[in-house]
Amino acid sequence: MTSWTSWLDHTFNGLIIGNVYALMAVGLALIFGVSNLINFAHGSVYTVGAFIGWAAVTYLGTPLPVTIGLVLLGSALLGMAIERLGLRPLAQSVRIAPLLATIGISFLLDQVVQLLVGPDPRALPNPLPGWRIQVGTGTIGALDLLIAGIGLLSAAILYGFLRFTQLGWAVRATAQDREAALQMGVNIHAVNQTVFAIASALGGLSGLLVGMYYNNISPAMSFQATLKGVVAVVIGGVGHVPGAIVGSLLLGLTESWGVALFGTPYRNLFAFVLLIAVLVWKPEGLFGRRRSLPPEPLTGTFVAPSRPLQLPRWVWPAVIVLLGVLPWLLQPFEQGSYVLITLSNAWLYALLGLSLTLVAGTTGQISLGHAGLLTLGAYASALLALNFQLPVGLAIVLAGLLTSVLGTALVLPALRLRGHYVSIATLGLGEIVALVVLNWESVTRGPIGVSGIPPLTWAGQPLDSGPGFYWLTLGAVLVVAGLQTRLLRTHLGRAFRAVREDDVAARSYGVSPNRYKALAFAFGGFAAGIAGATSAHLFSYINHETFTSQISVLALTIVILGGMGHVAGAVLGAVLLVGLPELFRVAVEYRVLIYGVTLLLLVRFRPQGLLGTV
Amino acid sequence: MIKTPASPARRRVVFAAGLLASLALPGIEALAAAPSGEPVLFGVSGPLTGPNAQYGAQWKAGFDLALDEINAAGGVLGRPLAYVFEDSQSDPRQAVGIAQKFVNDRRIAIELGDFSSPASMAATPIYQRAGLVQLGFTNSHPDFTKGGDFAWSPSISQADAQPLLADLAIKTAGLKRIAVLHLNTDWGRTSKDVFVKAAAERGATVVAAEGYQADEKDFRSTLVRIRDAKPDGLVLISYYADGALIAGQARTVGLQLPLVASGSVYSPKFLELGGDAVNGVVTNTTFFPEDPQPEVQTFVRQFRSKYNREPDAFNAYAYDAVQIAAAAIRTAGSTDRKAVRDAFYRIKDVPSVVFGKANFDPNTRRVIGVKSVNLIINHGKWVVWDGKKALAAAK
Repeated sequence: MTSWTSWLDHTFNGLIIGNVYALMAVGLALIFGVSNLINFAHGSVYTVGAFIGWAAVTYLGTPLPVTIGLVLLGSALLGMAIERLGLRPLAQSVRIAPLLATIGISFLLDQVVQLLVGPDPRALPNPLPGWRIQVGTGTIGALDLLIAGIGLLSAAILYGFLRFTQLGWAVRATAQDREAALQMGVNIHAVNQTVFAIASALGGLSGLLVGMYYNNISPAMSFQATLKGVVAVVIGGVGHVPGAIVGSLLLGLTESWGVALFGTPYRNLFAFVLLIAVLVWKPEGLFGRRRSLPPEPLTGTFVAPSRPLQLPRWVWPAVIVLLGVLPWLLQPFEQGSYVLITLSNAWLYALLGLSLTLVAGTTGQISLGHAGLLTLGAYASALLALNFQLPVGLAIVLAGLLTSVLGTALVLPALRLRGHYVSIATLGLGEIVALVVLNWESVTRGPIGVSGIPPLTWAGQPLDSGPGFYWLTLGAVLVVAGLQTRLLRTHLGRAFRAVREDDVAARSYGVSPNRYKALAFAFGGFAAGIAGATSAHLFSYINHETFTSQISVLALTIVILGGMGHVAGAVLGAVLLVGLPELFRVAVEYRVLIYGVTLLLLVRFRPQGLLGTV
Repeated sequence: MIKTPASPARRRVVFAAGLLASLALPGIEALAAAPSGEPVLFGVSGPLTGPNAQYGAQWKAGFDLALDEINAAGGVLGRPLAYVFEDSQSDPRQAVGIAQKFVNDRRIAIELGDFSSPASMAATPIYQRAGLVQLGFTNSHPDFTKGGDFAWSPSISQADAQPLLADLAIKTAGLKRIAVLHLNTDWGRTSKDVFVKAAAERGATVVAAEGYQADEKDFRSTLVRIRDAKPDGLVLISYYADGALIAGQARTVGLQLPLVASGSVYSPKFLELGGDAVNGVVTNTTFFPEDPQPEVQTFVRQFRSKYNREPDAFNAYAYDAVQIAAAAIRTAGSTDRKAVRDAFYRIKDVPSVVFGKANFDPNTRRVIGVKSVNLIINHGKWVVWDGKKALAAAK
């Protein structure tokens, strides 16, 4: 039914949006190539660039070339500052530290922009002449051509720079082997700073141009931009600049054709399925050269090497008893039940943290898709209780098992990936879960969501908050934590750590990494599934947006804060990260800012986490 | 011109703007006794940070304006009215904690919010059990008020609003083959379903319906798909930012069709973000500043003088919500939470910017009926549309 001309139009539209993604992807690819880092702050630089341009046009009335110059300059300076203040101090730290730092910087920048200009979207009119060229039945304008031109030009300049200049050689040398480059007398700090300046200048410029393209900029636009950019970069092959452009165009085409075939709601689903397909089929990307094994995760490079904090043996029983009697201690206080529900939430996040600390900390698979497991558990339990009238307690346990099976099955194709690729694949899987929930209406009720989810009951009384719910969630945490502690002391726990420390060595000792990774996901899936299911019965209503990808980031922060792989650390991390933002409530809009700064300080001064890595 | 002081406690937890405003405003308001004593509080759970922060900011503008007015006229029960705004980031987990906090705070007589359905409805069981009215004034989810007899919503019922949009699109604008683009959220989806049914009853066909996600920015492919269904007009069930993007991109794919948008696009921002592309777009809105009704005129005049900009629909919703809450507390004659709930069954004809007179249906706990003005954008301005002037295609 779709005619040939429509296909042409769809193809053409795919190329146009791909063109827009490419601007973002080029900078990301450059940083990824040199620093081996997914720069989550790149989207925020893009936002800052757009607002620098907006401020220049609005307050100074600058013409376009001057605006572009200011944006390039401002964004480059911002990039250099990020490198100098945020990342260079972490150069000697573990691999995970800079990744987390970019997340913290991103929170910080977005929030600063929002505090300065307000949260409203703003118009950024396109000053270019209004002529349009007819292509098929659609048209393209001067801005489309400018975006394509700048994308190609920057790729060409970068290619020339990397290939033919001395600094470019230094950049490539650093990308290949940091230590060797250092020995050859390359000033790698200068190289990194140059790379961040160039990439950020491009990122800021893309924010300006894309903002003009849509005539719409807002402080909330950075996450989507980073997400699409990362997908495009991975498709093209990380660190490969022309590859990033081709990857972006392919991503645009896939989305556009996906819309043509199945309709608009499926759009992002296609983007992420393409991502997973590329990762499974050709993890180095379409253009990436199959490099010799990346230098991670070799011993201690990915997870901070440290000795866990030793606490006297009596501490844990004492803490448990104290937590157990807390509801009685809090009784006289007016806000006692608020503290209890906050702690109950912390226990649910502790379950999530326990799940991730096993997968990421013990087994070394940094998952950025754990919110997907919560969603699976929540929907499974809600639908079991509503459609089959199962008792809620039973539904929660079954949901845990289902999440364990489904989560492991989903992640199976990604098990052979390593390092950052695992993070990107799980990020994609998390998005896929949310999108399937949104689109599979006959089961999940689509965007309307599931309402009227019955609460947990105990002896006929609903356990929907208060002491009962507190004890139940605390109990679940203690059981899972106990099991996990036991597990880590067994042969299985040692095998998990062997996989994390050195997967080649583990294999040569006869430990099959994939099987152990799958086991870790299965155990972790159960804990996360129970957390999601219990939340669903607390909330009484869930939809595909109840557990956003922000929660995946929060989960990782919990794990790193507590200490990767540390069971009690995950619980402590959850209490702090759920509790502190509540304490910061007095700061209103500055709350997220404080959170971002805390995260950065933590990464800077205690990358191994509060209780240390196990 | 009476200069109203800007909210002095923007950063503080308790907003007592109204109290100061009443002291600073001699003149007509001096007739009312200045409120004194401990303020009567309402709690607000809403997004001040995160992706929905813009709506929280719009709420605040509406709240503060309503408080200025109420407190200048003597407050409620002889006491000033004030509020506590807790930032939920529209996150259900935080909304649940905030609910517990409000429920425990005996000074709070009623709660307003949250913004999104997941956050609002997650908190409902806590408000319901503790017996604190949750006035979910932007919660159009059909199941929101089913959470219990303490869940009330003055948000426009889509069952009432969408047939009016269908009237506009089919009877006034004369569309026969309609393509619908809707936000793929509970609101957008519910609205679309009602609209499709209403359109069929009026003899029109919906030839395509496409749901898009709230953070989507590129609509070219969707619009080509719509074009292929050969509609004679587009109906947008959108907010202003996405609505403006769709209007802007429609012409780039060569789609020159009349655009009819739901009232939710009504905002000065729609004009700013849409530029020339939104000229000719028609909508029916419940709130229109040129509406001669005195409630609307007072609201618009005061909003302009306080903030020096044009109010939009979300400002109006927030303003109305405070007026309704104040009316309920006055009718209850006390801040007793159950008395406030019972008052909701008795309050009648509350002056409202959105509804004219707001009356709750005691069974659905939603406001009955909806008023509506048909508007068209002409040269970058909203003007009343009588349907006679030829409907300009989005060009």
